[in-house]
Amino acid sequence: MDQVRRYLAPALFIAPGMLLYLVFIVYPMLQAVAMSLFDWQVVAGAVSVFRGLDNYARALADPRVWLSLSNSGVYMLFTVPPQIALGLGVALLLKDKSPAQPFFRVLYYLPVVTSWVVVSLLFKYLFADKGLINWGLGLQVSWLSDRWTAMVAICALGVWKGIGWSMMIFLAALQGVPQALIEASKIDGAGPWMRFRTVTIPAIWPTVAFVTIMLVIGGLNVFTSVQNMTGGAPGGDTDVVLTYMYRQAFEFLDFGYGSAIAVLLTLLVFALSAIQLRFFRNETMA
Amino acid sequence: MSFTPTRRGALLSMVAGAAILIALPALADDVTLTFWGAYGNGGNSTQQDALNATLIPAFEAAHPGIKIKYVDIPYDSLLQKLTTSAAGGELPDLVRADLGWVPQFAKLGVLVPLSDTMADFKTFADATYPGSLSTNLYQGKYYGLPLDTNTRVLVTSQAALDKAGMSAPPKTFDELKAMADKLKGTDMQVFADGGLGGWNILPWIWSGGGNITDPDLTKASGYLDGPDSVAAVQMLVDLYKAGQIPNLIIGNSGATSTSDGLPSGNYATILDGPWMAGIWKDQYPDFTPIYASIPAGKGGSISVVGGEDIVLTSASKNQDAALEFIRFSQSEQFQVEMVKTGQMTVIPAYADQQTAIAPFYATFGEQLKTAKSRLAISSSSKVDSILSTELTPAFKGDVSVQDALTKAAGQIDDLLAAEK
Repeated sequence: MDQVRRYLAPALFIAPGMLLYLVFIVYPMLQAVAMSLFDWQVVAGAVSVFRGLDNYARALADPRVWLSLSNSGVYMLFTVPPQIALGLGVALLLKDKSPAQPFFRVLYYLPVVTSWVVVSLLFKYLFADKGLINWGLGLQVSWLSDRWTAMVAICALGVWKGIGWSMMIFLAALQGVPQALIEASKIDGAGPWMRFRTVTIPAIWPTVAFVTIMLVIGGLNVFTSVQNMTGGAPGGDTDVVLTYMYRQAFEFLDFGYGSAIAVLLTLLVFALSAIQLRFFRNETMA
Repeated sequence: MSFTPTRRGALLSMVAGAAILIALPALADDVTLTFWGAYGNGGNSTQQDALNATLIPAFEAAHPGIKIKYVDIPYDSLLQKLTTSAAGGELPDLVRADLGWVPQFAKLGVLVPLSDTMADFKTFADATYPGSLSTNLYQGKYYGLPLDTNTRVLVTSQAALDKAGMSAPPKTFDELKAMADKLKGTDMQVFADGGLGGWNILPWIWSGGGNITDPDLTKASGYLDGPDSVAAVQMLVDLYKAGQIPNLIIGNSGATSTSDGLPSGNYATILDGPWMAGIWKDQYPDFTPIYASIPAGKGGSISVVGGEDIVLTSASKNQDAALEFIRFSQSEQFQVEMVKTGQMTVIPAYADQQTAIAPFYATFGEQLKTAKSRLAISSSSKVDSILSTELTPAFKGDVSVQDALTKAAGQIDDLLAAEK
């Protein structure tokens, strides 16, 4: 009885959230894994043919999957480091109290709370042939007509929209750096760079780990901006994994294949996160 | 002002009468049909108004006991909503479906084959344009009837004709090429289009004498990559390389759109549909579009059929009532009323009335007589994706047109084989 009573209260507190998590996250995820093994018929009551790992074999042999994966990877590589560096930089600038500080915090955070669809369209117009970017730089580049220039535009949006988020997290972490340590290092004669490297960074290291892992996951899951800015054009050259997957499932109604691609991406993200966790943990130990 | 007793009595009896009227549908065994469509797309309410205020009341008056509930869904989310509703078994009775979706949903088994179910199907079918009707065909059965139609014609402007020193729009491929030569060195490009899917390039392939598959839909190889198809696409690629077609065609979403580029003088000609008249009237009131047939090649002047079909879902519990509404959708009243709101009739017998309502419809009506529909297969959206994926490198100059079309034809062969 005591045992029951001991666990009842926490269980009741966890139950609502856990229930929602199981119903809306875990169940659909398992369902997607199941679908990926079938030539899935979307209609209620229709019979789906079991295909085993056929959808996975098809995905691994599909050059378009690899192309879209490389685009997701490029996006991740070119948006995660700038977001961390710039987010941390802005957080350092805004750390100290000043009258203008709340204003700048809001300014940098504003893109984060703006709708992805809205800013995607905004960037599409900025990078249009007769858009503000070309006009301002005096260029005549068709940004969105070529794989690499389009990726520049898409990454620019990702960085611009993401800085505010990492800034906010870093700002919170910077408040927690013990003032005593900073003063002690000052007394020891450490300059600003030395203090940053030997006091601040180790103190906020868990936050750096958290931000990096979250940004890598987010980077590989890029979808809305690509879908709205290029839609994969020209000829699928700017497709990322999720836009390609979305097209297979919702345009071609090939839900089995779409699910297989989604599962593969999940496994990749999971593996990358595990590797990063291990890396950051080892670094802390050192 | 106060109510006299008699007035109050009258008022009471009115309230009682209204209550009975409201209660009546519940008492009588009324049938309510749900009808989904995207008539209101683009914030245009005239078509919805015609349906809700004129046509549905007329149908309900003529068919006591049947009520129609029209639900407007934005075009962009309609396909997804239909898909998820099919998955959940929650489809409406009737759908105004984009004609490309009919085979896709027929394959899923959620549509009723009208050619089997409707005793008088042939009478209605025979009255419509063959190109529109064929969009309802899937594996030997018709799953719907055409509801409204459209096609693409060549649209140009007086400014473009003046600039090229021409007295009339280009009638042939050669005249289009000549127009391009005249425009060389100006800031106007001869032709623009917004993609490389079937809707975009099939008019050129068909007019050039080529085809996408054999008539029985068994093979694309030898047709899509035949010499006439290659020559037609090659003409576009040559114009593209000469800077006479903007990279909008390979999907540059940052390029000036056709609907802005024509009235603004960036583009000399585009292919577009009858809906543009209303859009230009709002956005470019000073612009007068000039409509002409698609330039003719070896195969004549052949365009692509667009529009919507009306389909009955197998989820409908009141199929007889729904068939009555489908019959009504083919009536003169329905068709002509919709013409007034910008939807072209699918019945050639009403074409004269249509031209009387708006003369510019004449060119579209004429073009529709020979217009063809895209492949009526369940995976037709994949065909569009294959065409644009394979043709993009050909326009960029990375592969030859022949190689691109051969590669596309091979993939379409596989789709066709999977249909059987």
